[in-house]
Amino acid sequence: MENTIFNKLIKRSTKSRSKNKNVNNLSKASINVEYNIKRIETTDKEMVNFLFTLGCYEGETVTVISKLADNFVISVKDARYSIDTDLAKAINI
Amino acid sequence: MKIALTGNPNSGKTTLFNAITGKIEKVGNWAGVTIDKKEGLIKNNLNLSGKDIIAVDLPGAYSMSPFTSEENITNEFVNNENPDVIINIVDATNLSRSLFFTSQLLELDIPVVVALNKSDLNVRKENVIDIKKLSAQLGCPVVETVSTKTSDNGLTELIKHAVSAVGKGQKPAFKAIDVDASNEKSVRAADVKRYDFVNTVVNAVEQRKTKSSNQNVQDAADRILANKWLGIPIFVGIMWLVFSISQTYVGPFIADILVGWIDGLTETVGGMLGESVSPILSALLLDGIIGGVGAVVGFLPLIMVLFFLLALLEDCGYMARVAVVMDRFFKKVGLSGKSIIPMVIGTGCAIPGVMATRTIKNERQRRTTAMLTPFMPCGAKIPVIALFAGVFFNDAAWVATSMYFVGIAIIIVGALIVVRITGEKNARSFFIMELPEYRFPSFKRAAISTLSRGKAFIIKAGTIILLCNAIVHIMQTFNWQLQVVAEGAENTSILASIGTPFAILLLPLGFGVWQLAAAAITGFIAKENVVGTLAVVYGITNFIDTEALELVDGASSVAGVMGLTSVAALAYLVFNLFTPPCFAAIGAMNSEMENKKWLWGGIAFQFGMGYVVSFFTYHVGTLITEGGFGQYFIQGLIPVSLMIGYVVYLMNKGNKVAEAKIKQTA
Repeated sequence: MENTIFNKLIKRSTKSRSKNKNVNNLSKASINVEYNIKRIETTDKEMVNFLFTLGCYEGETVTVISKLADNFVISVKDARYSIDTDLAKAINI
Repeated sequence: MKIALTGNPNSGKTTLFNAITGKIEKVGNWAGVTIDKKEGLIKNNLNLSGKDIIAVDLPGAYSMSPFTSEENITNEFVNNENPDVIINIVDATNLSRSLFFTSQLLELDIPVVVALNKSDLNVRKENVIDIKKLSAQLGCPVVETVSTKTSDNGLTELIKHAVSAVGKGQKPAFKAIDVDASNEKSVRAADVKRYDFVNTVVNAVEQRKTKSSNQNVQDAADRILANKWLGIPIFVGIMWLVFSISQTYVGPFIADILVGWIDGLTETVGGMLGESVSPILSALLLDGIIGGVGAVVGFLPLIMVLFFLLALLEDCGYMARVAVVMDRFFKKVGLSGKSIIPMVIGTGCAIPGVMATRTIKNERQRRTTAMLTPFMPCGAKIPVIALFAGVFFNDAAWVATSMYFVGIAIIIVGALIVVRITGEKNARSFFIMELPEYRFPSFKRAAISTLSRGKAFIIKAGTIILLCNAIVHIMQTFNWQLQVVAEGAENTSILASIGTPFAILLLPLGFGVWQLAAAAITGFIAKENVVGTLAVVYGITNFIDTEALELVDGASSVAGVMGLTSVAALAYLVFNLFTPPCFAAIGAMNSEMENKKWLWGGIAFQFGMGYVVSFFTYHVGTLITEGGFGQYFIQGLIPVSLMIGYVVYLMNKGNKVAEAKIKQTA
């Protein structure tokens, strides 16, 4: 009987962990939470390089400040940028 | 001796440049205001070296690698023109990003002096930077500056350090080793190490009171100003405010005073000429020159107040938020929110508006925006609108307002057409825009920029417009045999013989009269000329006294003289507003397009649009008011249908290309 309860507890905790796994890119990020950038998922090399010069690259942190219409305001290295949903989806966290 | 000013966009380079050279280059609180390098001599009170020092203001760059045309200019300049010293203007509120570029500059063999700008903002935020430590870590002098202050701003010290740094070598604080410049991965790895170095330096020298990723008042303001639902009404409200202040309240008030002087001048000159002077000369001087130019100069106050308000808008940092608000609408027509900024600037003058398109990275979007920006009625078109509104529509407010909305409609349609013709109907591009901090706009800076624009306007009025009016007046007074044309036989004059062939083209639009054709042609030199030429040609300088366009009793006689119905007048107004802009603006288009096909395509599109919209205005309007189409409807339908047909053909061709692209990537 303890086993079933134990199993149920484990199932519950893994369920909530897998819920968090849904936040894989910035468009699904929560506001005011600092995330680590895992990679920039796009074939647009110019954009990847440009983001790099702003300090937005693998290993650095990014925070979503607001969601305005279809744009996100993000904080990268002491500056604010507005990005559209497509770009937010490309930033994997 | 040559000093280059470089640094991130919107870090205060141009403000500093203006402060040390005494120039008044254009400044605005959004990244991308400076697009070309500018040069000036450093002021004597700052330059104690005894020699001339040239300062060069370069456009902002985030790094040495050339991704945008601005960064390319910086790259080329530094590599080719060998400045003696580089002043790197660093935004003190964002060391962690700015120092990336700094570390790259330090690797060049040119001495660098860092100007830690906006230090007043840091004081306000209670962030502290250890200057001595920073200087030691970077291996170069660091001077705190506040380029927006007129005194006690650190500039003298900055120049002193710059001068003493000349000739001394530079030991880079961070050197990228084992970098294979042709191997991307290797370059990237080195850059990551570079950022690691920057992070170490920043951690050592900077103490921030609050984390920058925390919410602050400005973020709350953004949520209102760039709100999904409130954003547009707020923007519309602000633009309406700008226009009503400049066109209805403050502008005309100042204009009245100015016009009073012009009247006085006309009387004095008339008095001086007396009776004995030949009537031709008197007419040329009074009606042609003073009258024609006066008709235009009377609008100067309205346009200057407009420029002033737009400058305030650009200075406070709101423009970037407007781009965010408009982005989701512009995406639907194949552009991005960034395209709104040139169009807003274009309501003052299309030339800086077109030049502002340089911040748009995507080539097609940039060229499309450059082509469509002139459709927003500019300051020079305001006298034209005002004249027709006053003469034919009793000064009704709907005339001017509707012209702006027609402009917006044309821009939307135009964008949709272009994106299909270029076969990029399904292309996606990213939107990213830096949101600068809000700041209270500087009335001083706005006033300075307004005065310089106003000066340019007056010079233009005094030279080009005056010349045009004089030439037009002469051309209408004489015939080809250089005899004075008799009263009533004006249609034998030089002007008439040139205007008539064009007038035939304009017959289907309801205004195929040589006088109006001639005025429209002079409009390509400067749109204000339309008013000036009409004033000269119809000899109505007594009516168009811009006594704030309250044509006291002249309105009906002017209308009678022109021989136009209200509908035809509206069509003529539309024609002048939405055809290709003045030559100067076309020149700006040329430098932005960088492609002859696009340039001529753009001009053809503008001309076609003006013709077609004018055609429909005239005939649909006549249909509504008189129950039947206007004259020459069928004849006009032929060129109009051909133009529309050709555009549709191009769109279909482009759509097929877009379909093929989708199949390719699928």
